[in-house]
Amino acid sequence: MPSKLTVDPFGAALEIESDESILQAVLRQGRFVKYGCKHGGCGTCRAELISGECRLSDQTSFSLSDADRSAGIVLMCSTYVDAGDVVVDVGATMDLTEEEFSAGQLIVESDAVVSAIEHLTHDIRVLHLDLPAGTPMHFAPGQYAELQVPGTATAWRSYSMSSLPADANRLEFIIKIIQGGQFSSPMEKFEVGSVVRVRGPFGQFGIRLSHRPIIMVAGGSGMAPIRSMLRHMVASGNKRPVTFFFGARTERDLYLTSWLNGLQDEHEWFRYVPALSDVELGESEWAGHRGLVTDVLDGVLEMPLRNYEAYLCGPPQMIDAAIATLIRRGCRDTHIYFDRFVPSG
Amino acid sequence: MKLEEVHEKSKRYDWGFDYAKPDPKFPTRYIIPPKGKDPFRSMMRDYAKMESEKDNRVYGALDANVRYHNANMAEPRWMEAMKFAVPCFTDAEYQAVTGAGFLIASVKNQEMRQGFAGQMLDEIRHTQLELALRKYYAKNYHDPAGFDIGQRAIGNHPIGTLARASFQSFNTGDPVEVSMCLNVVLETAYTNPLVVALPQVATVNGDHALATTFLSIQSDESRHMANGYMMLMSVAQEPDNIPFLQESLERHFWHQHMSMDTLVGVVSEYYAVNRPWVYRDVWEEWVVDDFVGSYMSKMDRFGLKPPERLGEVARFVDDMHHSAALALAVIWPLNFWRIDPMVEADFEWFENAYPGWTERYGGLWDRYRELSDPSSGRLLMQDLPALPPFCQVCHCPCVMPRIDAPETRIFDHEGTRYAVCSEGCDWIFHLNPKIYTGCSNWWARFDRWDLADVILELGYVRPDGKTLIGQPHLNAERMWTIDDIRKIGYEIVDPLRV
Repeated sequence: MPSKLTVDPFGAALEIESDESILQAVLRQGRFVKYGCKHGGCGTCRAELISGECRLSDQTSFSLSDADRSAGIVLMCSTYVDAGDVVVDVGATMDLTEEEFSAGQLIVESDAVVSAIEHLTHDIRVLHLDLPAGTPMHFAPGQYAELQVPGTATAWRSYSMSSLPADANRLEFIIKIIQGGQFSSPMEKFEVGSVVRVRGPFGQFGIRLSHRPIIMVAGGSGMAPIRSMLRHMVASGNKRPVTFFFGARTERDLYLTSWLNGLQDEHEWFRYVPALSDVELGESEWAGHRGLVTDVLDGVLEMPLRNYEAYLCGPPQMIDAAIATLIRRGCRDTHIYFDRFVPSG
Repeated sequence: MKLEEVHEKSKRYDWGFDYAKPDPKFPTRYIIPPKGKDPFRSMMRDYAKMESEKDNRVYGALDANVRYHNANMAEPRWMEAMKFAVPCFTDAEYQAVTGAGFLIASVKNQEMRQGFAGQMLDEIRHTQLELALRKYYAKNYHDPAGFDIGQRAIGNHPIGTLARASFQSFNTGDPVEVSMCLNVVLETAYTNPLVVALPQVATVNGDHALATTFLSIQSDESRHMANGYMMLMSVAQEPDNIPFLQESLERHFWHQHMSMDTLVGVVSEYYAVNRPWVYRDVWEEWVVDDFVGSYMSKMDRFGLKPPERLGEVARFVDDMHHSAALALAVIWPLNFWRIDPMVEADFEWFENAYPGWTERYGGLWDRYRELSDPSSGRLLMQDLPALPPFCQVCHCPCVMPRIDAPETRIFDHEGTRYAVCSEGCDWIFHLNPKIYTGCSNWWARFDRWDLADVILELGYVRPDGKTLIGQPHLNAERMWTIDDIRKIGYEIVDPLRV
């Protein structure tokens, strides 16, 4: 059961697990505080412990003086919660604005208007929403927003943006229709002009700045954040190699194929590999890869994956299988990023 | 009055620059705003007390190390690396002392000056700590040869030139770019592998003195990183500064990578018996994930991009320290430390950590080991078709990234022939050749000399006047002498002359 962690002077209410440091908790939940070595040596992540029962690791012997300790100063990278809720204050210990703490992400909430709904397959839709002028949602590719369930004030469903972040007033979502789904079922009755309450952006899933070649794996509506990422990479002149594995059951479950093939034709750095799991030989003219997308990945990528990054989005079983395959093939676990799509009903 | 109030009040006392203008050694091409974020919320007297407490702990720990004979419990292979590594790092600290002083003189911004004043105090402390560490080693290790002449030896050895070339940019050039090199690239990206990760190697190889010293040094780096962040955030607000900043980042990131990835990679993997991690993984974590992924991502909104050569750096990091370690082994007679040959256990570790290592590097290490006893009467240098030149920019041997496939470029500039090790150093050279053409190639000084005479000229012989300090093994009973070398009759040939 996580404890409550408050970071002042911002009043940010976060959670902290018993086995993670304050710094880890802050970063995990998408906020930012200054840090350096992450193990108690450099003193960058100083904070004042206002309240809470915490323990400090003994690696801080050099970086925290006795005077600091008496004054209640801790290093967030080396501080763990023993019991109860914790409040820390970074106001006097580091130069950090609220904007920096929020990592530049400001949550907005507004009524958006449906501008179009596309039917890509039997159960995949693209929902286009226009935000009111003056209330753009600035997001990073890979993030998600919450859409309010029609007819309720408190029920929300999370969907990843598939649009280009530069179009901050026009959001696009790839949504899978779930039978009885609280948002996706009423969405079938939306028309152009329907109003949807939306808030966001949220989430830490996104492309990291680095040199590493990229593997992307998605299934179902998991292509949504991937599409946003790919669009952003095209717009920003990306050169890092990207191989995108998309898993589906049958050909009728594939979508945006022309767009993906077009990307592959236009950009040397991009390769698209669709894989169908429920198509037997002789049953169809499908000439592409057959099998589970993670097995196809294992077969197609022959090189060791030690210096690769992977971005996974889709059903939990696919994610778990992909992680196991990637690690077995040498990918560092710290370079595997994922967003599990779990239907909420 | 609260400390914060005292601090704010004290800032109102400042120089009146109408009668005393800053007189920096080098001008700046940047627009530096008059106000910056305050990186250093502390009064000097309190800060000095805190640093003094840290110092006392290190000296106390060194004393304890003496009492339990730690120097002779540590792996000898590791201790030999300290003979050249710590003097190189001391050069960095001292260059940073003068760098911080230069930066104080270069900026009118009072908050920045305070930050650099704190840094100057720190760098003096770091220099002294490392000198104390070197003295501790010289007095307490069973083979002091090499420790005792460290400062002079560094002045004569190519590895000293590598260090000076790299760390000179801490105090030479445009002040903003000096801060980019020192505070941003070296201190934000590279001090973590150096003073956080390397102590781990020291500890698992039995040397607690280095770990204690370097962790004390690391505890100051947050302020230095803050100085860099403050400088960058100030100047990045002016769009006209961005192209200069980008060029400066490209230059210093490549150069510091060549020196630091070489030094830390070589020491941590080739001078260790126990290896707690793979250098490539450390580099990925600190330089890519933290520096590029986290720190640089905050600069994106100003238009400052991560280094364009990051992919190239990654490619080099896989191989360059293997090549450099071998190059140092090849020139073992010219070293002031001993190099233990790699053996089967090492081969196995390297092959697991860097698949393909055995095929690329194993053969030369086998040969090095075969020739290590003086009875062999042969040097590995004699097997090579030619000696590799040293890069005119970074002064690494031109065996980069792979000793079997170097990417050396040789060219003439204003009537003199130069070599550079890579496209990155080639680009840096041609940015401003004047910076790099004042230093002659190391081999040129000894062209056509007998190797024995070179060793004597460098002073790398033990007190008996004939036994070499450098040895291709750690066996005290079977050491090479100057007579063994003279019998071989090896003549140094400057590779750039032919």
